[in-house]
Amino acid sequence: MSSPEPVAVEVVVEHEHGLHLRPAARFVRLAARYGALVEVENVTRGTGRRANARSLLEVTALGVDGGHVVRLTGSGPEAATAVDALAALIRSGFAEPGER
Amino acid sequence: MSVGLVLVSHSARLAEGVRELIEQVTQGQVPVAVAAGGAGGALGTNAAEIADSVTAVGGGDGVVVLVDLGSAVLSAETALELLEPAVRDRARLADAPFVEGAVAAAVEASLGSDLAAVLAAAEAARGLEKLA
Repeated sequence: MSSPEPVAVEVVVEHEHGLHLRPAARFVRLAARYGALVEVENVTRGTGRRANARSLLEVTALGVDGGHVVRLTGSGPEAATAVDALAALIRSGFAEPGER
Repeated sequence: MSVGLVLVSHSARLAEGVRELIEQVTQGQVPVAVAAGGAGGALGTNAAEIADSVTAVGGGDGVVVLVDLGSAVLSAETALELLEPAVRDRARLADAPFVEGAVAAAVEASLGSDLAAVLAAAEAARGLEKLA
């Protein structure tokens, strides 16, 4: 299912470490399940830099700390589904067993 | 089975540290071998050890070799020449920064991507601006 318009959502990253290595890896691997192009911006830093949600290096380079707001913009196939899933992962606080 | 990685470094501790990072982001889904350090704990690289490592993790969908500095490249190139042709055909030396390239390649490999995609992920790390 393709969305004619890009789908954008803003989410607060509650995880105390933000989008650091391990949560970012989970985020990237979830993004890779969808055909959509999803871009991530750090609204709090406001640099305008955009990361491809499928690139761990680009996502971690956004410098997202706990409490920062990110904007997820999806386009192409499954855009709404992908953005919803990624936003839900962020909202969940990336909770997982053994998380440090 | 995913594409495997070989970490070639002058320092065993450096390579083990990168392996630790990779395991954090892939949860052990990617075969990783370390070929690092010289005899008796000295710094150095060894072509025969690299070749053995490539063979060890190269059973599946191929291997991407990451190197740290300078002469590690020469050792890795020599190692590729030592390999059985069937293994060599599925081995690629990445022109990429060691840490970022290895982590990016590992994530890509954990997605089940093919050899070309894993190599491309490693090499895409060259252009990354690190500061937000």
